[in-house]
Amino acid sequence: MTQPTANCPNCGAKITFRWSGSVQTVCEYCKSVLVRTDLDLQKVGQVADLPPNSSPVQIGTEGIYGRRAFVVIGRIIYEYDQGNWNEWHLVMNDGASGWLSDAQLEYAITFSAPGQTLPGECKLGQEFRWNNQAYTVTTITKAHYCGVEGELPFQYWDKSDLLFVDLMSHTNKFATIDYGEDPPILYLGEAVEFENLKLKNLRSFEGWS
Amino acid sequence: MSTSGPASAGMPHVKSLNCPGCGASLTVRSFGNAVTIICNSCHSILDAQDPKLKILQTFKAKANEDPPLIPLGSRGTIRGVAYEAIGFQRRTIQVEGISYSWHEYVLFNPIKGFRYLTEYDGHWNDVSILRSLPDLSPGEGSLKYLGETYNHFQTANAATSFVLGEFPWQVRVGETVQVSDYVSPPRVISGEGTRKEATWSMGEYMAGREVWKAFNLGGQPPAAIGVYENQPSPLGANVKGVWTLLGVFLAALLAMAVGFYSVARDEEVFDQTYMFDTTPKGEASFVTDTFQLKGRTSDVELTTSAQVDNNWIYINYALINQDTGHAYDFGREVSYYHGYDSDGSWTEGSRENRVVVPSVPPGNYYLRIEPESDPHRGTITYTVTLKRDVPQASFFGIAILALLLPAGILTWRSLNFEHLRWAESDYGKAPDDGSLLSSVENIAGSFKSSGDKE
Amino acid sequence: MIRRLFLFYGLAVLAAVSFAEYRGWSLNRMDEVPNVPRSVRDNPGSYRSVYGFYHHYTGGK
Repeated sequence: MTQPTANCPNCGAKITFRWSGSVQTVCEYCKSVLVRTDLDLQKVGQVADLPPNSSPVQIGTEGIYGRRAFVVIGRIIYEYDQGNWNEWHLVMNDGASGWLSDAQLEYAITFSAPGQTLPGECKLGQEFRWNNQAYTVTTITKAHYCGVEGELPFQYWDKSDLLFVDLMSHTNKFATIDYGEDPPILYLGEAVEFENLKLKNLRSFEGWS
Repeated sequence: MSTSGPASAGMPHVKSLNCPGCGASLTVRSFGNAVTIICNSCHSILDAQDPKLKILQTFKAKANEDPPLIPLGSRGTIRGVAYEAIGFQRRTIQVEGISYSWHEYVLFNPIKGFRYLTEYDGHWNDVSILRSLPDLSPGEGSLKYLGETYNHFQTANAATSFVLGEFPWQVRVGETVQVSDYVSPPRVISGEGTRKEATWSMGEYMAGREVWKAFNLGGQPPAAIGVYENQPSPLGANVKGVWTLLGVFLAALLAMAVGFYSVARDEEVFDQTYMFDTTPKGEASFVTDTFQLKGRTSDVELTTSAQVDNNWIYINYALINQDTGHAYDFGREVSYYHGYDSDGSWTEGSRENRVVVPSVPPGNYYLRIEPESDPHRGTITYTVTLKRDVPQASFFGIAILALLLPAGILTWRSLNFEHLRWAESDYGKAPDDGSLLSSVENIAGSFKSSGDKE
Repeated sequence: MIRRLFLFYGLAVLAAVSFAEYRGWSLNRMDEVPNVPRSVRDNPGSYRSVYGFYHHYTGGK
């Protein structure tokens, strides 16, 4: 499969897209935020230095979820009053786009689940049922983005505070509603144990082998 | 496929920073995962995400107050994963006017994540956050998680009273949160927060020496005092197993009894009646004809029945083997008294006496009999009967008691342990869940309260 | 561990009961007298329990 390449309009560096569905990417060299139009790449902004978040995951990390292998190709960092967390953008080996969230080293994998009716707002303890599974709202977080990296399936940067609703179930099933978009987007997935992802190409940390 | 171009950041390393409050040196071990970090010199809580380490709170504490038993920076292995202790806090609850404090350690692995160790009175727990919700019962008296039922043990307001090191969440000294513990020894599930916004975690009991071994600490762990809420009973599962074994043994005993009773000869080999003249004269002793005791070496039951009425007879017996000259020498008394007094009629004694002669080899035997009684009391008629190979119930009775005794002791000790466990709970006694313990406690409680006024 | 101990204990109890029943043991103690002479059959009065206790000469000079 050939991957589309282009040149960064700001610094001329070669940009390779790992996923055909990527809408936005960040030039690794000059940190320009580039959006893909039909013809070429357009610079829409600049990313400041990433905050000192230290997720072991990085762009290029590979892993396995269920029966599919995936590669990490992008990242959004969100910040809220308790700190920050990462949403790593994954591309599965069948071309699907997914997300690996890493919040204080607790991991979850979700995929966008269109076609469900979502309320205008949620309350803690509220219950929902999607795909024959019951979910309960456990956290409502007001956060703002504080950095992007790599390829994302949509245009995403420089946004103000948005609401994220997390839901848990009596099993490992996990869900998130992103109220930053209109209409809100539902992501369904599950909480995963680090060992089960069989991650490769992780960052290493001083003093830890 | 590897990334081209510059790496996104250098290898994360342990940082050394200066406290903005007092200038003391701070070691940051959590590679950017900490939200708050505490300066142990001036007891300031700092914002770890702020490059300038803004001071969020300053609390009062003595120098070297509450040193952690696991020094911060120590590495240990739990469930095969290496962790570093990076944070420490003390939390306090009030129960009936008395303060109880426990300690919590934040353990960190930069790839595998966080884990927590709690310690109270020498009892340790290995705690991790739950990723799925437990199923609370309607009255919240219990919950179910992964097919196991946990019973509510205690709900209290926990206040943070001391903090040290780094935390992946906001800590403040004095902050309170409601904590509810549900136990299923050796596990405990804690819900922290409000009913709607609870964080659930599960703890598994750890002995102090396991923690010491995991972190390679010197010296001895503090002794565990009393029984902790999710401390596994050292007897617990054994009690059930022992009673099951007991049932099997009792069934075996029954089968054996049936076997022995049906197989025993129970053969009458001698039955003679004699008259003893109590007038004193010459030699009272005599010998019987010989009789044969057949079969293997087994017992012989000798029954003496005498028609005594408010009288007694004492018979000296010798069961003598005609061929070997080996004899069994014993005496039996038969006495029977009766009368009438203010309480009614009474009797004392019996007209019949039995004795078992043990392990008599087969052969030809005779009895040498010498009766005695009060003189000049007339003639006493008595019958001597011998039975060969008689099964004895007494051994089975002793066996039953011998088997019940350890099972009983074990059960009593287990109940005692559980009683000590639940004495510390909100209830002071075990939950009413149909278990043996709760039944016994309910009965004991009803005895106590029956003396109270309604 | 405790269950195994109880298992062995119980088996020992059952074995003891079997042995006691088979061999015809008794709970009471019984005095035994060796070598009762045949002359006792002719002269029962000469038998004395003392035969069971003394294994040395008591007949005087």
